[in-house]
Amino acid sequence: MLDTAPAVRKPPGRRTSGRVRLRRRPRLGPYLLIAPTVAVIAVLMFWPMLQIGIMSFQKVGNRQLRGEPAEQVGTGNFEKILNDPFFWQTLKHTVLFAAVAVTLTLVIGTLVGLLLNKLGKRMSAFVAGGVMIAWATPPVTAAIIFSWLFGSTGGLVNWTLDMLPDALVGGGWSDHNWFATPLSTYTVLTVCVVWQACPFIAVSVLAGLKSVPGELYEAARVDGSGPWRTFWSITYPMLKPIFLVLVVMSIIWDFKVFTQLFIMSGMANRDAFNLSLYAYSEAFGSLNPKLGMGSAIALVLTVILLVVTALYVRVMVRQGETR
Amino acid sequence: MKFIKVAAAAAAIALAATACGGEDGDGAGAGKDPAQLKVWMMGEGTPEQTEFLDAVEADFKAEHPDTDVQIKYVPWPQVATTFQKAAAGGEGPDVTEIGNTDVQSHIAQGNLADITDEFKGWADGKTLNKTALGNDQADGKTYAVPWYGGVRGVWYRTDWFQELGIQQPKNWAELTAAAKKIQDEKKVPGIGVPSDQTNALLSFIWGNDGTVAVQDNGQWKGRLDQPQAVEAVNFYAGLVAKEKVAPEKYVGKNELEGPQRDFALGKLGMYFDGSWALKEMKKIADKDAGKWGVFPIPTKAGGNAPVMAGGSDLGVWADSEAKAAAFDYITILNNAKHAKAWADYSGFSSMRSDVKFSDPKLAVFTDIAANTQFPPISAGWGEFEQAKKVLPNAVKAIMQGAPAEAELKKANEQANTLLNAS
Repeated sequence: MLDTAPAVRKPPGRRTSGRVRLRRRPRLGPYLLIAPTVAVIAVLMFWPMLQIGIMSFQKVGNRQLRGEPAEQVGTGNFEKILNDPFFWQTLKHTVLFAAVAVTLTLVIGTLVGLLLNKLGKRMSAFVAGGVMIAWATPPVTAAIIFSWLFGSTGGLVNWTLDMLPDALVGGGWSDHNWFATPLSTYTVLTVCVVWQACPFIAVSVLAGLKSVPGELYEAARVDGSGPWRTFWSITYPMLKPIFLVLVVMSIIWDFKVFTQLFIMSGMANRDAFNLSLYAYSEAFGSLNPKLGMGSAIALVLTVILLVVTALYVRVMVRQGETR
Repeated sequence: MKFIKVAAAAAAIALAATACGGEDGDGAGAGKDPAQLKVWMMGEGTPEQTEFLDAVEADFKAEHPDTDVQIKYVPWPQVATTFQKAAAGGEGPDVTEIGNTDVQSHIAQGNLADITDEFKGWADGKTLNKTALGNDQADGKTYAVPWYGGVRGVWYRTDWFQELGIQQPKNWAELTAAAKKIQDEKKVPGIGVPSDQTNALLSFIWGNDGTVAVQDNGQWKGRLDQPQAVEAVNFYAGLVAKEKVAPEKYVGKNELEGPQRDFALGKLGMYFDGSWALKEMKKIADKDAGKWGVFPIPTKAGGNAPVMAGGSDLGVWADSEAKAAAFDYITILNNAKHAKAWADYSGFSSMRSDVKFSDPKLAVFTDIAANTQFPPISAGWGEFEQAKKVLPNAVKAIMQGAPAEAELKKANEQANTLLNAS
């Protein structure tokens, strides 16, 4: 990740010659080197994904898990899902949450990255270390911490809001239930997810900034450019390839958020479900698992993710921004 | 994944083969003791639980000296996924504890061995609660035996009731009034009414002569849209929405995610929970423990409402190769001596009629337990209540202002389909 920028900045001439040489004389070496990785990924990722694909056209419950042949239901699972208004509600939640969370993550992450670049060496290392703790926190831990912070008995947030003057924030906070309505649940979720995701953006942006030649900024300063103008005229164009990767990764991460929401609001609040929770509740929610339905929902989520990512990458490539 | 499937398929074939060959009697291995007996118990495995099971094991060993008993604790929240894995991977137990609302699902999925004959040969079987036993049977065959049960009541503060001159509420209006008085005088929420506590909600529906569903010619027919049920749910949710004697902070939660802790800390007037809550609350804060009391959930008109008999049963796993020893273990675990020891430790009442609840503080639960009912005995109940959480979500919506008639009509349609699905 961190060495993306230099790689992209290679002169185009050399890459062309390399490609020509490869075509003439195919070498086995590189393939052998990546073979173990591919094998592991194939067993741990592609095989289960294939299974999900197969199961999404079947009815799979405990009896099937025990070894009975699964019943083929064709596109029945998908028809059931797509005709269920609840599916569209969870889809709406998923998309809206991703849009808001990705935007916030990128904006805040970039700002922190710029700050890190401006700070002195020691302070920068200190702040970077601090934000990396948020990145390193496991999602389960983060979710538990946040549900305590926003909890109704002894929660720090409610306590603080209650201590503040009523004229400022209103009264009655001590018993406020943050997880009662989807909007406020998702507000807490957004804070938690963004808090965890922005350090990665910040550090990536910082790495990119380090590779931008200082002369460009010097020239901009001489020309009298302010920070806003400098960012959009120099930093952003120079770091575009990094931003492309970061946006795609953030979209993927935020689309499939599960752990945090599962811990914060759980199965009893269906009105706050997203697609991942919906798939889980169908597949594993009770003693009568419906793995076929769960797989179908997971497949839909994957397809959406692939389409969104593909569209975005295509637009970027069209504009020649990956060069 | 593939290996698991292959293994599961192999296990199934092997099982089918033995089942076909074993028609003539109890199977070849019935007489011999297995080297190992795997026992699954639910819960976290506290030192007391372990000590209790050690005593059971000692008695079991006296009869089966060559068998090594292996206990595995399955925390309640992981029960569904653990059993799914057991079914898929063939790594199941020999004897297992089962939450009683899950028994029918297990039977429908073929997870449990048919123990009809063994049960007939067990003299103590006659002491077991008949209603609870009915839940362990299907098509005239017995698949599990009731072990312990628990019922819920209303926990309250005896000192506050005395100080404010509140009599034990006998009907819904008095319950509301009591909550209101506590809320006004003590400056704490009057009563905890979480939306995700179907076990308490059912008492209100039953206490108003309503029900979730009735069986008619083998078909379940939802009754949640009937006026009795609508009125009961309206009252339950109305404690939050209309009367405002229950705080909004428990919406979307269950009784363990707030009410229990708040009551133990003296920050809540009343809440619904069972006898087992006493030892949990003492862990949170035992300074007021002497002032806690319990009264039965009242009906609308007056009297004790029927309560849901929650609890656990014991079954022999279908894949077990040591069914005779497994059933022997059950008879020892659930004999009069150990049933008594378990009740004393756990606070749950035994399902044996010859084992009485002795703790005076919990004596009231014996009264409450005289009037129990069961939610629909259907494999679909798991889907209805656990996966879809139909009632908790309907109650939540009503607490947040949705009309009860419309929400319960939707819930009733769900009951019509889910309870009949197999």
